[in-house]
Amino acid sequence: MAEASLPSLLERRLVIVTGKGGTGKTTVTAALGLAAARRGRRVLVAEVGRQAQLPTLFGAATTTPGPEGQPVHPGVTAMRIDPYAALAEYLGLQLGLRGLVERLLRNPAFHQLMDASPGWRELITLGKVWHLEQMQDPDGRSRFDLLVIDAPATGHGLTFLDVPRVVVSAVRAGPLRRHAALVEAMIADAEQTLLLPVALAEELPARETAELVAGARERTGIAVDRVVVNAVARPPFPPGLEDLDQRLARLPGETLLPGLPSASVLAACTAHLRQRFALNREYLAEIARGTGLPLVVLPLLPAGVEGVRALDVLGAALLEAPVGEPR
Amino acid sequence: MRRAETPDGLLASRRIVVCVGTGGVGKTTTAAAIALEAARRGRRALVLTIDPARRLADALGLGPLGNEPQAIARRHLEALGVPPAGSLSAMMLDMKRTFDDLVRRFADSPEARDRILHNRIYQHVSDALAGSAEYSAMEKVYELSERREFDLVVVDTPPSQHALDFLEAPARLLEFLDSRLVHLLLHPALAAGRLGFRIFQRGARQVLRVIERVSGLAFLEDVSEFLLAFEGMAEGFQERARRVRALLLGPDTGFVLTAGPAHGSAEQAEALLGWLEQAGAPLAGIVVNRMRVWPGAEGAPARLPEGDPEAAVAALAAALAAGEAPGFPAQQAARAAIAAVNEYAALVRRDARAVEPLRARARARGCFFRRVPELERDVHDLAGLDRIARHVFGEMELEAVHGR
Repeated sequence: MAEASLPSLLERRLVIVTGKGGTGKTTVTAALGLAAARRGRRVLVAEVGRQAQLPTLFGAATTTPGPEGQPVHPGVTAMRIDPYAALAEYLGLQLGLRGLVERLLRNPAFHQLMDASPGWRELITLGKVWHLEQMQDPDGRSRFDLLVIDAPATGHGLTFLDVPRVVVSAVRAGPLRRHAALVEAMIADAEQTLLLPVALAEELPARETAELVAGARERTGIAVDRVVVNAVARPPFPPGLEDLDQRLARLPGETLLPGLPSASVLAACTAHLRQRFALNREYLAEIARGTGLPLVVLPLLPAGVEGVRALDVLGAALLEAPVGEPR
Repeated sequence: MRRAETPDGLLASRRIVVCVGTGGVGKTTTAAAIALEAARRGRRALVLTIDPARRLADALGLGPLGNEPQAIARRHLEALGVPPAGSLSAMMLDMKRTFDDLVRRFADSPEARDRILHNRIYQHVSDALAGSAEYSAMEKVYELSERREFDLVVVDTPPSQHALDFLEAPARLLEFLDSRLVHLLLHPALAAGRLGFRIFQRGARQVLRVIERVSGLAFLEDVSEFLLAFEGMAEGFQERARRVRALLLGPDTGFVLTAGPAHGSAEQAEALLGWLEQAGAPLAGIVVNRMRVWPGAEGAPARLPEGDPEAAVAALAAALAAGEAPGFPAQQAARAAIAAVNEYAALVRRDARAVEPLRARARARGCFFRRVPELERDVHDLAGLDRIARHVFGEMELEAVHGR
C-alpha cells in the first residue's frame, strides 16, 4: 500500500532528523540536503554539538564553523550549532551589551550554572534554528528553502523537541517564555516542519523508533509521516536459491572441495548471512507495524558512505515514495 | 601495575559491577548474563536496569520490572544450574521516584519536603537536574549496597555518549550547590541590599541580572524558592553524594565496558575508556558483543577459492547438483555460495580489525577482554542469557557460533 498522497520531503521547510547514535542520521541529513540542492533548493544542513561530520561527508575540508556556516556544495551550507556560541549570540541580541555578555561567558560561576542547568542547550539550539529559518536575503527572499537539522543523539530526540513546551509551562512570563512559544509554534507547524526518524532494522532501534513516534504524537505535536530505515542489507543469495545454505548443509561431510573450506564451514557462513538477513526483514516489518508509518528503505552501501556519489545514491532513495510494507 | 583481571575474579571480589557502553551494543544483556553467572556461583545477584527493558523482563520470566527487586523463579534458575544459595533478581530504576525519595530522606522538615516536591521548577527539572537521572541510578546502587540483601549488584547504566555523567553528576551537583551563584539565589534580599555589593563578586551579580532580563523575575523567584527549600537538605545530600562516589571508585566496584564491532562503536568505546581512566574508575574488563567469527578452526581465509578457481567452482557445482533435477543452476549456485562465503570472511576480518585497539588497551591495562559471537537470533530468554554468560566466563570464548 504505497502512500501516493504523502508529500515529498522537499515540500517542507524544516526537517529534523532524529535517531540514536549509530543509525546514520548525519548521513541521512547530508543526503537529503544534497538531493534538495540538486533540485534547485538552497539548503542548510546543521549538526548540533561538538562534532563536525557534515563537511567531511561532502568531501569538504572542515573549518571552524562560524555563525554564517560553511558552503560544502553548490546550494548547500553546512553549519555546526554550538550551544554556548548560540547563547552568546542570543544574549548579545537580547541585551545588546557585548562587554557584559563576554564577561558573563568567561565567568566560572555562570559556566557552573549552565553546565548544571537542563534544557537550555535544546532551547537555544532550536532558537538558533528558528532564527536561521527567519533569515532573509536583501531581496526579501528566505535565505534557505530547506533546513535539515541533525538532532543530538543523547536521550530520545524528543527531549530535544519537548523543551520549548516545558519552558512555556514552567516559566510564567517574560522574554524567555515568549521566545520559547515561538519555537514551539515552529515545531508544531505540521505544514512546514517534519520529524524524520532514522532507524536500523535491528531489535533495539526498532523498539525505540516505535516509542519515539508514539511520544512525538502524544507530546510534541510535531508532524511525522515516515520512517527512514538505514543500511538495509540486500538478499545474500540470487533469486531462486534462497535456501542455498541448506543445500550446502546437506552436502556429505567428506565432499572434496579443492581450494575451499569444508562443506560444513561453507554452510555455517552462508547460514549466518541468511539468518541475519531474515532477521533484518522481520525488524523492517516490526518498525512498520510499531509506528504505523510507511518506510523509506536505504540500502547498505558495502563500501561505506564517503563522498558525494554515495550521498546521491542515498538521496535518490530518500526521495522515493515510502512503502507501507517491506518487499 | 595492578593485578590482571579475569571475569572470574570480578565475580569473586566485587560487590558492584557497573556496565558502561553506548546504546545498542548488548549492554543490558551483558549485565544480566554477569548477574546470572554470579547466581550460578552461589551468590545473591541483582541486575539493575535503567531502560524500560521489557525484553530483559521477558527473558527472565518476570512481569513489568519496578523500582523494587523482583526474584526470578527458582525452578527457572535450577534448570540453569543455580545452587540453592544463589539467586537472581532484577529491577528497573524509576529515576523520578528515586530522586523524590532522596528529597524525602534529606528534607529538614515536612514543610520543606512539600515545598520542594511541589515546586514548579523541581517538577519540571527533577529528572534532568544536574544529571539526576545518572545520579539517581548511583544513589539506588548505594542504597542497595547498604541494604546488604545482595552479594552482587550489576548495574546497566544509561546509554550515553558521556556515559560518565553518573560519576560526575554528584560532583557537579555539589559544586553547583556550593557556588556563589546559588548562595546569591538563596538570599535574594542580600543581593539586592547594599551588603551584597561587598560580599558577592560582580560576576555572580551580573549572571543574575542577565537571567532576570532574559527569563523574567518570576522564573528567578521560583528558582530561588526551590533552592531555599533545597538548602536545608544540602548537607545530608552532599555527604551522601560523597559516599556514593567513594563506593563507585573504590575496591568493591568493577567497571565492565561493553562494545560492538559495528562502525563507530569501537571508536566510541575507546573514547569511553579514556573518560573512565580520567575519572579514576576501576576498569575490570571489556566485553565485545556481536562479533562475527569464523566457523572453522583455521581462521577466515583472505580470498576464496585458493588455487584454481574454475576447479573449485566445478567441484562445488558437481556436489550441489547431485540428486537435483536436471535444470538446477549448479554453476550459479556454486559461484553464489563462494561469493557469500567471501563476503562473510570479509566481515569476520573487519570485526577483528575493528576491536583490535580495544584488545590492545585491555591487555596493556591488565583487564580481561572477551568476545561474544553474534548469535543467529537475538537473546530472548534465560537460555540465551546462559549462552552469553558462557562466552563471557567460560572456556568457549572463541567457540564457533554455529558449531552447536
